[in-house]
Amino acid sequence: MKYLAYILLIVVGVACSCSSDKEAYVPISENKELEFIVPSNFPEPTYNVKMNPPTEKGFELGKKLFYDGRLASDGVVSCGFCHIQDFAFTHHTHIVSHGVDGALGTRNAQPLHNLAFMKEFTWDGAAIHLDLQPIIPITAEVEMNETFGSIIKKLEERPEYVEMFAEAFEDKKINSDNILKSLSQFMIMMISSNSKYDKIERNEGSVFTADETAGFELFKSKCASCHSGTLFTDQSYRNNGLPVDTLYNDIGRKRVTGLASDIYKFKVPTLRNIELSFPYMHDGRLKTLKDVLDHYSDGVTDSETLDPLFRNDDNTISGIPLTEEEKQYIITFLKTLTDDNFVNDSRFSEF
Amino acid sequence: MKKLSTLILIFLTIISCKDDDNTVGTDTDTIGTVNFEFKNNVGNDLIDLNTGSYTNQSNETYTISELKYIVSNIVLIKDNGDEFTYPVADSYFLINEEVAESKKVNLVDIPSGTFTKIKFGIGVDQSKYPLNGVNNFIPTAEESEMLWSWSAGYKFIKFEGAFTPSGGTMADFILHIGSHGTTLDNYKEVLLDLPGELTIGDGTTSNVAITADVAKIFDSTNTHSLEVKSDIQVDPENAPKLAENVSTMFSVATVSN
Repeated sequence: MKYLAYILLIVVGVACSCSSDKEAYVPISENKELEFIVPSNFPEPTYNVKMNPPTEKGFELGKKLFYDGRLASDGVVSCGFCHIQDFAFTHHTHIVSHGVDGALGTRNAQPLHNLAFMKEFTWDGAAIHLDLQPIIPITAEVEMNETFGSIIKKLEERPEYVEMFAEAFEDKKINSDNILKSLSQFMIMMISSNSKYDKIERNEGSVFTADETAGFELFKSKCASCHSGTLFTDQSYRNNGLPVDTLYNDIGRKRVTGLASDIYKFKVPTLRNIELSFPYMHDGRLKTLKDVLDHYSDGVTDSETLDPLFRNDDNTISGIPLTEEEKQYIITFLKTLTDDNFVNDSRFSEF
Repeated sequence: MKKLSTLILIFLTIISCKDDDNTVGTDTDTIGTVNFEFKNNVGNDLIDLNTGSYTNQSNETYTISELKYIVSNIVLIKDNGDEFTYPVADSYFLINEEVAESKKVNLVDIPSGTFTKIKFGIGVDQSKYPLNGVNNFIPTAEESEMLWSWSAGYKFIKFEGAFTPSGGTMADFILHIGSHGTTLDNYKEVLLDLPGELTIGDGTTSNVAITADVAKIFDSTNTHSLEVKSDIQVDPENAPKLAENVSTMFSVATVSN
């Protein structure tokens, strides 16, 4: 009997000691998972949040990296340099993005919000996943002009980064996977869903003014076929009839797919916070919302890939017929998409 | 009684430690190493970068200045079909003709067993993105200029040199093949029979000599004339054809255990 007890004791001990690493849950008490809340009027996210769940430490690390010039070759041009929160994370008044040593890009910095709900990224959809998007600005010569190899070295020299990576990730490593994951953790939390429009859509007590209502009705019939849904984009690529700027001769989506049928097509942008994210269009050529609507009413130019929506049945150009009064109503409506909570949310602020 | 308890103890230790996984490699005690040694040929001859002159079936002579490709997602397959998948995050390799060490892919911690086939990918399988740790391959790809930085995408194969069409003048050729966003996936898998059994035992090191006949990039399932098109980068018509040709260029020459 004594022996039996012995055996049992040993067996239990052995069984416990053999549990595999996979099952052993070691709680990282100081790194809480952040709650990723999908607003009730939003679709399901396209980003698989379960595969890279945002945590307190991962988010803080991503934010620090976002605002750190070390990600650029000159030590100055951080992500936040061109993506400024006050302007819905766009480059205020700058027509095209600016890079190291005064270099100029060829496209307008896009706003950053609700990225967890977007399928592809950049004006031509070159990045097929949010975790990949930062590779483009970081390595582009006319943007941050840096390499991941060099960034990793720079970060390894900083004790605060060694500590933050160790706290944020189980493998504790400073590597490109973790750099990109932490940036994504920061960016997917950047949800803008508290505009006046949202509060009306969610029946939270707000109501449109008469002018906003008129603008919304016009918007639904004249704009919403492309700027559809609560994200105000169908995420397609279209040629909206901008004359080709010979300075850039930007071929748009064709650069990604190589398809002639994609030339001069650019992603339909979200219109959330559009009041703040000027200038407009892929190359920032239009300064005001009035300029944009003037383009659609009178400026659409023909080309082979022009979106059929801008044509009449007889193939002539229709653009979007709009009176001056209608344009004002639409602009009044678009301003209801401004989310002051988001642009003032200190969670996303540099300081 | 004491003997019996010891026996029971040993028995229980063994069964209690058995992994639940049913794939190959349940017995972690016996592991070996395999080296994949890539030899890049034109026909039966090893490539001589810059100096070697070759002729394709379109009667174009060419020299090669650069040859690089990405090998990924390596799988060893047993006769009964059981597969051992090398840890995917560690499974990205850049083969660069110019760098001798790059042509020897060292695979460690392979469970003992006898394998008769191997499988690997050419390029990066974006359907598995982003769960496979491929982002840690970025620095390597960057250094070797295998990243289309404007698209955040990988060049799966980079093949460059100069060519002279029959009776024509010499010009450069540039073939860069990768996937085109989500519209065109040029990732290919290669399944190869081994000419002999690959036997992994405890602490053993085996070598698998893989030949890549790059002449097949021009002439295989599809025929490509450089005079028709010598600059292929994000080319939705020609890139898939060349990617298909690339997937046919590998064979296993020898296996030594």
